[in-house]
Amino acid sequence: MRQTFLKILTFLCVAIASAQTVQVSGIVQDNSGVPIPGVNVVVVNTSKGAVTDFDGGFSIANVEVGATLSFSYVGYVTKTLKVTDSSKLTVTMQEDLAQLNEVVVIGYGTQTKKETTGAVSVVGSQDIEALKPQRIEQALQGQVAGVNITTQSGSPGGGATISIRGISTNGDNRPLILVDGARIEDLSVLNPNDIESINILKDATAGIYGVQAANGVILIKTKSGRKEMPLTVEYNAYGGFQQTTRKIPVLNATEYALIVNEALAAGGNEPPYTNIASLGEGTDWQDQVFENAAIQNHNIRLSGGGEKSTYSYSGGFLTQDGIVGGSASNFTRFTNSANYNLDFLKNFKLVTGIRITRSNKRNLPENSNASVLFNALNMNPTLGVRDANGDYTIADGLGAEVINPIAQIDDNYNRTKIFRLSGNASLSYDFLDHFSVQTNIQFNYSEVKGKIFDPVAFFGSGKVFNVLDEATVTLSDTYYRDYLFDNILKYENTFGDVHNVKLMLGSSISKETGEFKGGTGYGLPSNDPADATLENASRVQLFNRNTGRYPTFDSRLLSYFARAQYDYKGKYLFSAVIRRDGSSNFGPENKFGYFPSGSIGWVASDENFLKDSKTINFLKIRGSYGIIGNSRIGAFRYLSLLNGEGTYIFNNQEVIGTASGAIGNPEIKWEKQKTLDIGLDMKLANNKISVTADYFKRRTEDLLVVPQISGLLGVGGAPYVNGGVVENEGAELVLGYTNTFSNDLKLSVNYNVTYLRNEVKYVNTDTGVLEGGAFGIGQPAPSRMEAGHALGYFYGYQTDGIYQTQDEINNSAVTNVAPQPGDIRFIDQNNDGVINEDDKVDLGNPIPDATMGINVSLDYKNFDFSAYAFASVGNDIVRNYENNNPLTNSTVYRLRRWTGPGTTNEYPRVTGGASPNALFSDYYVEDGSFIRLQNIQFGYSFSDKVLENTKINKLRMYVSANNLFTLTKYSGYDPTASNGAPIGGGIDQGFYPSAKTFLFGINLKF
Amino acid sequence: MKNIKFKILAFFALIAMYSCSDDFIDVKSPDPNTEDFFNTEEDYQKALVAAYDMLQSTAKIYQLGEIASDNTLCGGQDALDTPGFQEIDDMIHNPVNAQLRDIWTWMYTGVNRANYIMEFKDKIDFPNKTSVIAQTRFLRAYYYFQLVKWFGPVPMAIDTRIQFGDQFDIDRTPVADVYAQIEEDLEFAAANLPLTVNETGRITKGAAQALLGKVYLFDKKYPQSAAALKSVIDSNVYSLLTTEAPLMWENDHENGPESVFEIQYSDIEGGSYDCFYCLEGNYAIGFNGPRGYQGPFFDFGYSFNVPTQESFDAYEDGDIRRDYSILDINQWLADHPDASYDEDAGYEQTGYFNRKYIARKGDLNLPDAALTNPNNTRVIRYADVLLMYAEASAKANSGNPTSDSYEALNMVHRRAFGLPVNTPDPSDYAGLSASSFEDVILKERRLELMGEGHRFFDLVRMGKAADYIPGFQAPKNNLFPIPIQEIQLSGNRWDQNPGY
Repeated sequence: MRQTFLKILTFLCVAIASAQTVQVSGIVQDNSGVPIPGVNVVVVNTSKGAVTDFDGGFSIANVEVGATLSFSYVGYVTKTLKVTDSSKLTVTMQEDLAQLNEVVVIGYGTQTKKETTGAVSVVGSQDIEALKPQRIEQALQGQVAGVNITTQSGSPGGGATISIRGISTNGDNRPLILVDGARIEDLSVLNPNDIESINILKDATAGIYGVQAANGVILIKTKSGRKEMPLTVEYNAYGGFQQTTRKIPVLNATEYALIVNEALAAGGNEPPYTNIASLGEGTDWQDQVFENAAIQNHNIRLSGGGEKSTYSYSGGFLTQDGIVGGSASNFTRFTNSANYNLDFLKNFKLVTGIRITRSNKRNLPENSNASVLFNALNMNPTLGVRDANGDYTIADGLGAEVINPIAQIDDNYNRTKIFRLSGNASLSYDFLDHFSVQTNIQFNYSEVKGKIFDPVAFFGSGKVFNVLDEATVTLSDTYYRDYLFDNILKYENTFGDVHNVKLMLGSSISKETGEFKGGTGYGLPSNDPADATLENASRVQLFNRNTGRYPTFDSRLLSYFARAQYDYKGKYLFSAVIRRDGSSNFGPENKFGYFPSGSIGWVASDENFLKDSKTINFLKIRGSYGIIGNSRIGAFRYLSLLNGEGTYIFNNQEVIGTASGAIGNPEIKWEKQKTLDIGLDMKLANNKISVTADYFKRRTEDLLVVPQISGLLGVGGAPYVNGGVVENEGAELVLGYTNTFSNDLKLSVNYNVTYLRNEVKYVNTDTGVLEGGAFGIGQPAPSRMEAGHALGYFYGYQTDGIYQTQDEINNSAVTNVAPQPGDIRFIDQNNDGVINEDDKVDLGNPIPDATMGINVSLDYKNFDFSAYAFASVGNDIVRNYENNNPLTNSTVYRLRRWTGPGTTNEYPRVTGGASPNALFSDYYVEDGSFIRLQNIQFGYSFSDKVLENTKINKLRMYVSANNLFTLTKYSGYDPTASNGAPIGGGIDQGFYPSAKTFLFGINLKF
Repeated sequence: MKNIKFKILAFFALIAMYSCSDDFIDVKSPDPNTEDFFNTEEDYQKALVAAYDMLQSTAKIYQLGEIASDNTLCGGQDALDTPGFQEIDDMIHNPVNAQLRDIWTWMYTGVNRANYIMEFKDKIDFPNKTSVIAQTRFLRAYYYFQLVKWFGPVPMAIDTRIQFGDQFDIDRTPVADVYAQIEEDLEFAAANLPLTVNETGRITKGAAQALLGKVYLFDKKYPQSAAALKSVIDSNVYSLLTTEAPLMWENDHENGPESVFEIQYSDIEGGSYDCFYCLEGNYAIGFNGPRGYQGPFFDFGYSFNVPTQESFDAYEDGDIRRDYSILDINQWLADHPDASYDEDAGYEQTGYFNRKYIARKGDLNLPDAALTNPNNTRVIRYADVLLMYAEASAKANSGNPTSDSYEALNMVHRRAFGLPVNTPDPSDYAGLSASSFEDVILKERRLELMGEGHRFFDLVRMGKAADYIPGFQAPKNNLFPIPIQEIQLSGNRWDQNPGY
């Protein structure tokens, strides 16, 4: 019995001794005492751990005394500590040298920033959070050197065009965008709140992605949970309103009537306005169409992780009205994303993710001579919105294209609904110490449902907008499916402690398909949008009527690639890639291409002569060169197919025939881009100052162009040919300054600038020219691609003031349309005595010579402040939002018009008669340089003391203003306007301006 | 443990193999290849429909042909509205002209679509093959006839498409050879097509003979022309409308007894400015009408192609043709107080509109209303056949009109004054000299065919254009210039037409 008791006692003692555990808690901070959130705290050799909260705090229960805690965080030296007792710990982590352990994604892998030999830029989640973008592109604009964003439209959900290091092809200039490895083309479906980081590969090292990487690669990583992290709930929201940044000054009713009278008199007609004094200011149509529009965004995120798994879910809701038309241009988006990662075994891991997005965009006509703003600018200001009967006033006499813009907004039922499902899954397995295999699959499925409903409507006789007899509806259902399937084998080893070798072999296949379904229904029973279905239509024309099948596409790629990386002591870095890419877009002879690239780097600061330098903390010099292929043309362009239009009428019925479509060219092959980059990365003055500089040259050869072809070949469409060379040459400089002055004050400033020169070297078409864009009505194309000029330069007459007298005209070369005094004088470039096609010259181009951005952020105690501006210099823009009808309204510069000899040499007379003034000339080309204050934000975070007795970990409130002002000489709404077309961009047709936005927001974390 | 490792690696190896075949990127096109067609009669019939399709694009030919003449002014919104039209109206056109380039390209599209069938004509046999070939050859002849009228010597391909690369090796064919080919095609069509067809819009023997007569007239082969036209008259299929003549231009009188060859249009498909040759409607109708018109009967237009005061005044009192050929808008407004139009808008407005080819109320007016008018183009009317026969039979007789010449001319003239068509009348033309007879033919053709796009080419073939058309320079303006881009895009091997 006694023995038994002893045994039990011994057992208990042992048990107690072995179970001597404590609750460990504490705070992690940097060496200036600022708490570091998100630090991984792990109890070594156990599965226990935690992640520090927003205030750097952590707590782990049941930790054995004597156990080792490991603290790790990106950019800091990992620290270990022995647990002695339960007292609260204060752990100070040292910043790692120059933060060069920051992880950079380089394609099928990661590297530390120190090891990187390519030109890679990173945008972190802090930058994205600060900017409150509704779209990702807004977070890149001016933030990243070499990346230029032009806005296709300022309307809610409107698109943007991203170009990396210039316009390299007349075709598709979009970079490849991968979200967690899944390819994505429409960034509007992505919720910026979900983004952890954006990596941008700008040089030949993007070549590892091969095909489609020729225009650079944007890698987006979304947020996920962390291991051993308790459930964390975040709620972020903002709300506010938007308004227009600008109104274009146009004539008021009195001024308008005077000018119209003068113009009609000049054309030999009776002046229509007799009682001008009674007209007053009239209607300001811009005030009528612009409004303060609401915006709100909510986002909730749940994340956490266990011993072997992590999880995260995020749900978002954005709704935004438009500054033109309010709810008639509303954009609403619901996003859901979830990811789950699991380690089956220590060396066998699964990563999964899924994203579901729904959006609904109501579409007002914009950026054309049918746009609401075009109508607001041209509408007669002597008319009211409604007439005496309460009906919308009719825009009589203003031409076929100008109607009452309010009536137009009211008659708009067009919308686009998008449903998108994306997923990714990846399995990896490490074996034999140095090997690993990985297989990734990503897929996208999306449905785009468009509706264009034209109820019976009358806007005035002869208006192109009229729908006179029957309502029609066009319903389109477009389906896109694609998948990408990669398999990779890696080998990684270090020899003799100094030779680091990494080898990779991989294959990748992808398939993109699409189907365009739908049809147009005529003869709807009523004007009720609810009746606007194909079932209710008396006649239906389906999109498959010409061929009996709906248009589809199927485009595939197959690639094999290998990469070798070697470095010696992390000081001399080498990397080489070779790819064999195959594309279904080319014929049997030309399907495959081989594309090599390579890069080198030298970390000079690791050499003895710099090792102890106080001024230069880090210096790396790097270079890369490579060839990347591009096959982004439509499918089957190597074949001539019977998909043309050939319908005729027999017995008063349509009979559908079979005609050939675009001409195929079996010879077409890969477009090749040769990219050179030389750069350096430097840290100075105790890492407070960082410098990155790059020189680059990109030469695109064998450009896939669609030349003009002889009319002898018919209307079906010209073939693609490989003919053309474009060069982009430039330099980038990024300067950063970060300093922590005290516990309370931290300042950081970042500046980047990119210089770019674009030149077309060669165009192998019979005329040496490719044309595009539109100006006026029925005028020749204003934009061109031609050797010796920038891609998409403007081509027209150069002006030389205004003809003051008939004598001047008699002594000058003139156009077919004879000018009169007060008309624009064009320069006879070839002195042949006439102004004709041969006198047209380069009038500028829409590509900026330089773009730059500056970012300032300041934290003081609980307050934070940030401001961010960007600028573009040397981009030209064409003003094409004016109508030439004598009765349409015009901008106030008409008040400074020519009225007699000597009155002005700048602004032509007004006339309703014949004049050459409307011909495309430099009179319509303006300097679109600008600087824009894109964001200014002021926030306050509640201190721990205030939150101590609540469940809230973090509470921050802020006010923010976006697009507060723009300094520019451009007279239109918005100098960032462009449809993004390589040939035909930079022409402003009544662009929907980017809104000025005022927001109040909250960040909350439990 | 080792077992698991093996299984995992085997799994990776298996799925990796799935993505390792080059066959993955061999994708078959869902549309048939142009070289793998004509396997059934239906294939031929569908290719034939596509060859017919380009007839609709000739709306521009008849509109611009009229603008080029002294009948009308270009009009439009302003002096810069469609510069290619304005310049031709003013006879200051040059080799840079988008409208001429459209005509060039569209006619060659028609030629290629016809030659596509001819290239594969021997691939299979089927019962209706002769009919298909006859229609095809008619269409090819029609498209080449437009080309030779507008541009003179033109590159000519026969029974083979002009394919990519061929444009650099093909020379311009002399006018005589082009006409010989057109005539051969039309002889074949006339010999193998039926007089009447079940499907409205299909080409008939009469259409082939009438077009052949017209081609011979242009080719100055007068006896052959007279013979071909005589067979149209003798077929007894066609007649002049009498009391209904003023209504002839309304849509429910389309394809009537006076219609020998008519291009079919429809208002059942919407249209877009992005593709004029794709339209199933007649765009010229919408473009010719009064700008901003509101009121009964007619519909609005874009005020192009407006008749001059001189054209209006050319009609004698009692000539019923004036009021159904030319719309006097001011008189119309006076008669219809509920009607209005934009009087001040538009360029070169005369107050007159081309009444034969402006929009009528009651069409479906699908978007875009200006592009979807269903009005057919009356390419060859029986009145035209009679006038051509009068001319050809006289010229075949050294210019001296025969009794048949007079009868054909007088039938048209009697109808114009509301007289019985077949009953001689004191007002009949008689006893004219050769040159006076030609002048009368020219005058009657102008008055009868006003607005139909024939005048310019009548003046040119009679060598009288410079006498009537302001600014016309002979011989330069007898032909239009070949669009400069077309010369460049074919390797700069062709000389421009003289004077341009």
